[in-house]
Amino acid sequence: MDFEKIETEVKIHVQKWVGEAQLLIQRTSPAQLYVAVAVVVFTMLLLILIKLFKRKTSNTIVLTGLSGSGKTILFYQLRDGSSHLGTVTSMEPNEGTFVLHSETTKKGKIKPVHIVDVPGHSRLRAKLDEFLPQAAGVVFVVDAVEFLPNCRAASEYLYEVLTAASVVKRKIPLLILCNKVDKVTAHTKDFIRKQLEKEIDKLRTSRTAVSEADVTDEYTLGTPGEAFAFSQCHNKVVIGEASGLTGEISQLEDFIRNLVKP
Amino acid sequence: MLEQLLIFTRGGLILWTCRELGNALRGSPIETLIRSCLLEERSGSASYSYDAPGAAYTLKWSFHNELGLVFVAVYQRILHLLYVDDLLEMVKDEFSKIYEPTRMVYNDFDDTFQQLKKEAEDLAEKMKKSKQPVKAINANLGKKQGLGQKGGVDGGNQKKSCDDGNGDKDGNKTKSYVYENGHTNGEHVSNGEVTVASGVNGKENRSSNTGAFDKDKLQKMRGGKGGKKTNTAAVSKAPKEELKKKPRVWNDSPPVSKLDFTDPVSENGTDKVPVVAVEHGESMMDREEIISSDSDSDEEEELGKNAKIETKKKGWFSTMFNSIAGKASLDKADLEPALKALKDRLMTKNVAEEIAEKLCESVAASLEGKKLASFTRISSTVQAAMEEALVRILTPRRSIDIMRDVHAAKDQGKPYVVVFVGVNGVGKSTNLAKVAYWLLQHKVSVMMAACDTFRSGAVEQLRTHARRLQIPIFEKGYEKDPAIVAKEAVQEATRNGSDVVLVDTAGRMQDNEPLMRALSKLIYVNNPDLILFVGEALVGNDAVDQLSKFNQKLADLSPSPNPQLIDGILLTKFDTIDDKVGAALSMVYISGSPVMFVGCGQSYTDLKKLNVKSIVKTLLK
Repeated sequence: MDFEKIETEVKIHVQKWVGEAQLLIQRTSPAQLYVAVAVVVFTMLLLILIKLFKRKTSNTIVLTGLSGSGKTILFYQLRDGSSHLGTVTSMEPNEGTFVLHSETTKKGKIKPVHIVDVPGHSRLRAKLDEFLPQAAGVVFVVDAVEFLPNCRAASEYLYEVLTAASVVKRKIPLLILCNKVDKVTAHTKDFIRKQLEKEIDKLRTSRTAVSEADVTDEYTLGTPGEAFAFSQCHNKVVIGEASGLTGEISQLEDFIRNLVKP
Repeated sequence: MLEQLLIFTRGGLILWTCRELGNALRGSPIETLIRSCLLEERSGSASYSYDAPGAAYTLKWSFHNELGLVFVAVYQRILHLLYVDDLLEMVKDEFSKIYEPTRMVYNDFDDTFQQLKKEAEDLAEKMKKSKQPVKAINANLGKKQGLGQKGGVDGGNQKKSCDDGNGDKDGNKTKSYVYENGHTNGEHVSNGEVTVASGVNGKENRSSNTGAFDKDKLQKMRGGKGGKKTNTAAVSKAPKEELKKKPRVWNDSPPVSKLDFTDPVSENGTDKVPVVAVEHGESMMDREEIISSDSDSDEEEELGKNAKIETKKKGWFSTMFNSIAGKASLDKADLEPALKALKDRLMTKNVAEEIAEKLCESVAASLEGKKLASFTRISSTVQAAMEEALVRILTPRRSIDIMRDVHAAKDQGKPYVVVFVGVNGVGKSTNLAKVAYWLLQHKVSVMMAACDTFRSGAVEQLRTHARRLQIPIFEKGYEKDPAIVAKEAVQEATRNGSDVVLVDTAGRMQDNEPLMRALSKLIYVNNPDLILFVGEALVGNDAVDQLSKFNQKLADLSPSPNPQLIDGILLTKFDTIDDKVGAALSMVYISGSPVMFVGCGQSYTDLKKLNVKSIVKTLLK
């Protein structure tokens, strides 16, 4: 077979090279060898040290929320300024590193932002854990129109995000974005905030009961004994409004800009 | 005529829709397709049926795995367009030529699409013409087959097709989804005779018995009964339920006169039995699971060995070359051996055969056409895809936080009713006690209801558990109607303020018609909040049959229009199976309901949650 012939040939070549290398090493004097090795080691150490100390602040923002809340539309609004032909339920995350569309006209050096849109479908929840560790900020998108039927599911998901290990340890700031406010029947952000706080309060009592059994590390949220409020969280939690379809995403962009300093 | 043809990315953005066929689709068929089919790992099947008020569509799809695109065609179900599959393939080829990741608008594709459509239609016309003479003869046969002939080769199948046919025609359009697994027309136009022939009432309406089971399909079949009396309805008329329950005779032995062997003395709580509540420490539900952290490198090494042994014949160099350089694109033949090996491995782990088959098909559909990255083997790509698919299936679709539900029911002032159903001997009573123990530990007041009025000793068993746990038990002895007992138990619970009522039922085989009827009556009368199917992890292929038949019977035999189906699974005897954990996967895949508890021993604390990651790891080891 051809492959076997090539195989044997390669083997012969390799052996020749090894022999030549050995000869070379024997010929050079020991002093030169030591110097060469020392230089190599030193440069390696230097590079490692530099890498350790250069704390690069991440520029990743994660968009998450229930399925159907409008994350993919927001992603494309941020990127292109339009929602194109519409979207369907995402089966995979959308990632992109770009300068926000509204800022492409600005002059000067602008740092591009890495935005990740994680699918909201419950079967794909695991994808969120891949992106949270590197996130500089998290945006939790809530559908302001269909809020009440999904209130429980939304608050459970929000609770999971707030108690995820990476979010708690690194105190990642969170923006709760009420989407679809262009519709007449959309709820106000204060109403949504109060409902979410109430639900999370209830979840706290039932979840801490089984918290140790869960695989992901969970932490108790807020101050025990008091009713839960977002101000009790160690990481910064803010609430904003937006409308993906019409393109009103100024609050979202401000949040992103505050985190990813140009 | 095609209703709509969509092209969208896997990330969710719609790239192109046919502007000409601008009819708005009723309902949301695409969303449903993604949620119920593609994300449920059923993408290996040929088509999907969707029903909405006012319309019945069939959807066909095609993936371009390399570019991450999905092509979906929607058309009316009553039309049998033979050219759809070919059209999808042609559109796929053409579009991949003009696709760029940065480009979002593809208006120029309209003209190409018109051309392709014409071509496909002409092709179909030609095919049809060549079968014209044969069609006339077969059409009559088809008519006879389709319209209400009970004879039928497969009685069950025919019945269903009649119902579906009637349902469509009568306009009984309840919003529901019928799962489709037939390899229907379009795929092989050469086999057109059969497909065209039975086309009258739709080959597509024939639901296959072996297909994976969709809960919602039952709703559809319930709705489609219309005015037609089916066999099941006929049977229900025959043996009318007698007022007094006759003792069951299993063999020729004379019927036993007395079933109640309880000792009248011990009923009043004697000192012989320990009255102190049991304290066994915390239930394993609350204990953190220590996951063995085997690194992936172990798996890779093993895999490497297997791969090496397989490809020894080819020579070491060719495999190295292929894995370094990457391959142009994966096709079915390349995936075959890797998938077959995976399927065998799954089956050795006690996964039901048809489930393993379907999973492999779905994974193949998602990998076909993908380019192999360099320095990766085919087997590792397939392994990664399979792992992802398994995690997706085992992750629950909805929240399984029972505590939260209990608190919600408490707020409303009514007890939370849980019914334990299953076949004989799976561990219902034992695990009921374990669940009671766990609930007690979280300060929830529990009451047991002994609705197993058939098996000797069932009531005593529960009584003993209740005494040890110090919780009230509602029992009426033997030979009583379980539905009535349960109803009274719930009333009693409301009276004395119990938060949860755990209802124990008798074990029954899924084929036993009268027993299943009794069960559906119990559920209909009491309207429980949670129906837990108790299944043992030792079961093999029968798991598929048990769950699907249970669900089916619950739907068929229930007098209400919206029957309640199984909400969750309790997997028992988990400690006996070592690493053959496949039953969990079969059960979850076939029923779509999540595993809520896992019973792993015979004492009160042996109850834990399903750890998805460790199960997947064990399955693929």
